[in-house]
Amino acid sequence: MSETTSTPPRASTPQRSSAPPPKESPNSPKIDPIYYFFLFPALLAFTLAITVPAIVGFGYSFTNSIGFGDWEFTGIRNYIAVFRDEGIVGAYLFTLGFALVTVIITNAIAFFLALGLTSRIRFQRTLRTVFVLPMVISGIIIAYVFKFLFSNTVPAIAQTLGIDALSQSILANENLAWIALVIVHAWSTIPPALLIYIAGLVTVPEEVYEAASIDGASPASKLWHITLPLVSGYVVINTILGFKGYLNAYDIVVGLTDGGPGVATRTVAMSIIRGFEGGDFGYQMANAAVFFVISIVIAVLQLRLTRGKASFGS
Amino acid sequence: MSPSPLSRLQTSRRGLLAAGGALAATGLAGCGASGRKDVTFYQSKREIFDHIKTLLAELDAAQPQYRYVHDVASNLSAGFARRNPPDVALQNYNLEMSRFRERGGLSDLSDMEEASRIRDDIKDLADWYPPYPGRTSVLPWSVAGAAVIYNRAIFDEHGLSVPTTWSEFTALCTELQDAGVTPIYGTFADAWTLNQGMFDYTLGGMIDVRTFYEQVTEIGEEVGPGAEHSFSKDWQEPIARMLELLPFHQDDAPARTYNEGNTAMANGEAAMLLQGPWALPEIAKAETGAEMGMFPLPVTEDPADLKIRVNIDLALWIPEAADQPEGARELVKFFMQPEVQDTYNVDFLYLGTTKDAPPATDPRIVEMQSYYDEARYYMGASQFIPNTIPWANYLQAIVFGEKPETMLARLDSDWASLAYRA
Repeated sequence: MSETTSTPPRASTPQRSSAPPPKESPNSPKIDPIYYFFLFPALLAFTLAITVPAIVGFGYSFTNSIGFGDWEFTGIRNYIAVFRDEGIVGAYLFTLGFALVTVIITNAIAFFLALGLTSRIRFQRTLRTVFVLPMVISGIIIAYVFKFLFSNTVPAIAQTLGIDALSQSILANENLAWIALVIVHAWSTIPPALLIYIAGLVTVPEEVYEAASIDGASPASKLWHITLPLVSGYVVINTILGFKGYLNAYDIVVGLTDGGPGVATRTVAMSIIRGFEGGDFGYQMANAAVFFVISIVIAVLQLRLTRGKASFGS
Repeated sequence: MSPSPLSRLQTSRRGLLAAGGALAATGLAGCGASGRKDVTFYQSKREIFDHIKTLLAELDAAQPQYRYVHDVASNLSAGFARRNPPDVALQNYNLEMSRFRERGGLSDLSDMEEASRIRDDIKDLADWYPPYPGRTSVLPWSVAGAAVIYNRAIFDEHGLSVPTTWSEFTALCTELQDAGVTPIYGTFADAWTLNQGMFDYTLGGMIDVRTFYEQVTEIGEEVGPGAEHSFSKDWQEPIARMLELLPFHQDDAPARTYNEGNTAMANGEAAMLLQGPWALPEIAKAETGAEMGMFPLPVTEDPADLKIRVNIDLALWIPEAADQPEGARELVKFFMQPEVQDTYNVDFLYLGTTKDAPPATDPRIVEMQSYYDEARYYMGASQFIPNTIPWANYLQAIVFGEKPETMLARLDSDWASLAYRA
């Protein structure tokens, strides 16, 4: 709730009382140049490796470049082609839907797991380790392992139990393959979300719950009226980071379904990368520019919707 | 504060530095000691790395000037974009590769004696993809002849002989099915196997692949319902025929992959597999002793229409921007020696490309040779669609039940869009 955001930080940073008062106007306090020095390498790397190539790439989106050799300006043809491209539009719709479902499922599960793992339970540390383990496995390996499970193990079990619906691999079913993607993405991305929720839950002071208990609040209303509002900031972080991650889904999709069956699970990132490989550089640059704008719009919307409502503990 | 963690950190740092120094020293020693010039040789076909390693060691020993460095994983597009491509390559030749050639990235080798030894029709095979006028910039080195792989024992057991017409083929499949044998093993989960197999075989057997692509390239932006030629129009019939093959596959084909197909063939779980010669060594790895053969898939009622699917498995080329063109040419000469080239093709079940190459004798591919020599072949129709159009996925959708018209219309519009923005 909003009142929690206005709570001043309890431990404010100690004043450097020994330092002489700054000569300049109070609006521009002297900043130790060492901070710029710390920032510089990262800024340089980011500029050279991300910003500059992105701007160059944006320039190429107005050409028919295939990535090397001669090219010509083609104006906004690539952008017109993007909006006319049925496959790309389909990939956008799929990616957005997939990201939405996955972010909800992942956050719900991670939140409740975090509740469990921060309560006074036995083997708390061991369990936390176990639940965080999937984080250290690379996406493509997770994808291959699950591909085997979905194509062989699950159908075998289903056949033994006589469950007809699952006796064929869901990866081979155009209407169900996305569920496999959601499951695997959730499995591999719950751990980071879980860590953030655990970090958030331990900041909620015990006294608040004690006070609530005295007032006779039930566990459910404590969760709804105390815990959730107090960690809402962490929910926002997880939603934005998660959504961004799922929009860029690539490795697990390639390993698990390769966009199939058919084009049922083709994501935007996959279309872009495959296009690059196929020498469709200018066009996919236009596609990437459109995708970038959409991602930014979504992130800004998320921030707007949650502005002033986010709280990071007490 | 205890000093121990810090000092431990320092020791380990020193250790790291020492290790790094040692590594750097070995690296330097490796490259500078002999005064040889490094020639980067690009070759990324995993199955033959050991073979290539042996050959390069031989080549290094045979001359004092160059040291050949085997590059297995660089990004070729990035290399060409930065004007820093490998010096020479022995690589699969396909549409993606042909871009480097079309834009003049590959040098002319027509003055080399080796170039004149290559069969004219095979040189022409490289020109199915857009060439660069006036240059012989690609030397085909090995050709894969692909068709229907069949289990000889299963055919013998049921008294079957190799079919030469569509009706003979379907009758054979029905007979196998009645006897409780899966006629064809499907690996539909790997969409490329659909492209390579049932799709390319049916298309190649029914239409003139090269002419068709010349037509739709010509029509370009206008490819679609109203055009004289389009994917929807020209492919409708072959796709319908291809779909008639589906009932002859095992039930779980949609969930099976390429590797599982090879294992299944080795274990005699099915009579046939629509794959190329590269699958044969994989099938042999299971060591079940199952004997394989190959025959072209008949898709018409005329045995004269029988053709095999070929592709340039490996080709030699030297980029214009090569730093060591002379060293690169030495390598080309070495690889084009009959004892090197022919040995590879015999050992790895490919077809030779030179006029004097010995015919294939391995029983698994021996049936391919006559088709190859009589130029009764086609390049796979799937091999002319750029990667940016996910045709393999469209095809998989068709096989899984989507209406062919829908996906072919989409291919038409993708093709037109590509021409529009070119």
